[in-house]
Amino acid sequence: MIDLGVRRDPALKKNNALNIRRKSQAADSMSDYASARTGTIARIPIQMSELSPKLSVIVPFYNEQDNIARMHAALLEALDPLDISYEMLFVDDGSKDSTLSIAIELAQTDPRLRVVKFRRNYGQTAAMAAGIEHARGEILVTMDGDLQNDPADIGNFLAKIDEGYDIVVGWRFNRQDKLVSRKIPSRIANRLIARVTGVPITDNGCSLKAFRATVIKQVPLYSEMHRFIPAMASIAGPRIAEIKVRHHPRRFGKSKYGLSRIYKVLLDLLVIKTLASFAARPLLWFGLLSAPLLIAGTVLLSYVFVHAALTGAPLSLPIAGCGIIFLTCAFMMICSGALGELVYYLGDMRGHEFAVLTQQLRRSGASVETPAP
Amino acid sequence: MSDRNQKISVIVPVGRRQEDLRELYAEYCSGLNALRISYEFVFVLDGPYRDAAAAVTELIDSGEPNIVMVTLNRSFGESTAIMAGFERCSGDVILTLPAYHQIQAEDISKLVAALETKDVAVGWRWPRKGGVIERLRRSVFHGFVARFTGMRLHDLGCGARAMKSAVLKELMLYGDQHRLLAVLASRQGFSVTEVEVRQSDRDRFEGVYRPREYAHLVLDVFTVFFLVRFTKKPLRFFGMLGVSMFGIGGLLVLYLVLERLFLNQPLSDRPALLLSALVVVLGLQLFALGLLAELIIFTHARHLKDYQGAQIIQYPRAELPRPTREARVEKTAAR
Repeated sequence: MIDLGVRRDPALKKNNALNIRRKSQAADSMSDYASARTGTIARIPIQMSELSPKLSVIVPFYNEQDNIARMHAALLEALDPLDISYEMLFVDDGSKDSTLSIAIELAQTDPRLRVVKFRRNYGQTAAMAAGIEHARGEILVTMDGDLQNDPADIGNFLAKIDEGYDIVVGWRFNRQDKLVSRKIPSRIANRLIARVTGVPITDNGCSLKAFRATVIKQVPLYSEMHRFIPAMASIAGPRIAEIKVRHHPRRFGKSKYGLSRIYKVLLDLLVIKTLASFAARPLLWFGLLSAPLLIAGTVLLSYVFVHAALTGAPLSLPIAGCGIIFLTCAFMMICSGALGELVYYLGDMRGHEFAVLTQQLRRSGASVETPAP
Repeated sequence: MSDRNQKISVIVPVGRRQEDLRELYAEYCSGLNALRISYEFVFVLDGPYRDAAAAVTELIDSGEPNIVMVTLNRSFGESTAIMAGFERCSGDVILTLPAYHQIQAEDISKLVAALETKDVAVGWRWPRKGGVIERLRRSVFHGFVARFTGMRLHDLGCGARAMKSAVLKELMLYGDQHRLLAVLASRQGFSVTEVEVRQSDRDRFEGVYRPREYAHLVLDVFTVFFLVRFTKKPLRFFGMLGVSMFGIGGLLVLYLVLERLFLNQPLSDRPALLLSALVVVLGLQLFALGLLAELIIFTHARHLKDYQGAQIIQYPRAELPRPTREARVEKTAAR
């Protein structure tokens, strides 16, 4: 767990403005609503936050026509007793069955339900990213649309966020899936992910997670990163907590995962490690990667020379050649790292943009301003 | 498509292969008039073609309404010409038509009609002329495209395509990608169909394709293949190549080492050792390239959205869920 503490970064002020701008963009339709009511253009962030609900629940659906209405009912049942303002975002990921039409019917009866419609199937990460982008709540909860997560757990997540955590991750401690094809590979993958990324989470695959909106909206989500959201979010330095959640066996519809993902997960892991730990210092990362080659090349070359000097035998060309090839490769890797520095410099992903305002010290250092959690 | 307010913009990219534009314009007009929708023509001269410029100027001077001529300083290729023309278009339906007799002008209406249900309609010349060798060549090429892009298309060379203007607004065509417009559009989630159009009697195949043109096309297919499958996950692609290289090299090294250990074959004078080291290193380099590509994607992730055209549906449209101030005050008081 990483604590943000108090930041006194000069970039912070600019960054704060950036946050507000982002928020007002997301809430454009709302400002229209506000201006319609008051007759003025209301783009002041404070009014925005008054309009926005406290909680947004984001649920991606892909071909879940049997589950979507049940999911909606379960959410209502779980959220109404919590006594907070909330909205639900159902993201239809280009379903081929009647998922979308059912969702629209539900939305017609429930003003708190918003449906995000994709033109085609873009995958779960894109669905989550779209949900996060369009959500207006201060706290975002994501969960699967297959009823394997229990909406009744959301209350515990909110309590944990109230304690001051930025990200709360679910842990399906009694997972209801097949042992060999699902649970064992998942356990190995989770160990590996925790080890490599340094974010100690038992269950990365659990979709039920809660985020503080200011944190998660900073994190770029693309490709198939939904499994690595906590690791990816660790760029922003959040406080992460984990709580146990209930897990139900699948009742309707088919599971959309298979065993053939190991290769992809391994590659993704390498990517996450590169991005989460070394995006801002590519030269260091490529230097580290090239170290074994550097060592191997040096050892081979010195072996050849020493051997030739001691025994008086002629230089062994293939071994010397190998050494030179290894050294050249190491050199090329380091050059790639230099190229990486250039890429990072020209890109628009700066470290300080991930700084999320938690506390701001006035010049006197005495009065502390904390934005409402 | 009988909506009164609609308008068709016709883009005619004029390249090296061109015929008399006045005659062609008259033919296209007769085909378009059958639709009873207003239309405009944008001729894009892809390079300084004097004859074509004179022909279009003559058309404009003769009082033909709604003709725009865009001249590019040098030849940029058909895709760029289409994009340059699109910037001057105001219609809701975009039609690209070739600058030579390729299809029967009466069949243009079929293309436009297909847009009632689809976003993009590309022409497919059928029945098609050509001998056995020509047909074989075509089917091999289209099979290759189908293999790599996952889309079975029949006539990539047909210049007649109709699409809603939203499609071109989202696509960035460059190089020779106009041929693969159908693939790129369907990648963006647009619905695509092929429409059979009759081939013009005057559409004849002049000369042979040179190897260079083939190389271009194959590379374009490869570009699209890469863009379609791996834009957001370049390491999957480079990793695939890198792992196989690394694997081959590793096996070779293993074999040499085992031979050294058990068959006592000296290692120091074997060029095969060099080869295997080279292959291993190549694999690593590919991996490094992939990581670099991932870094590029990451640093531009804010602009590269995974999804396009997400639509929000909510009811009632104007009103949004909003707790009243009183209710909230009560709640805090209760706490």
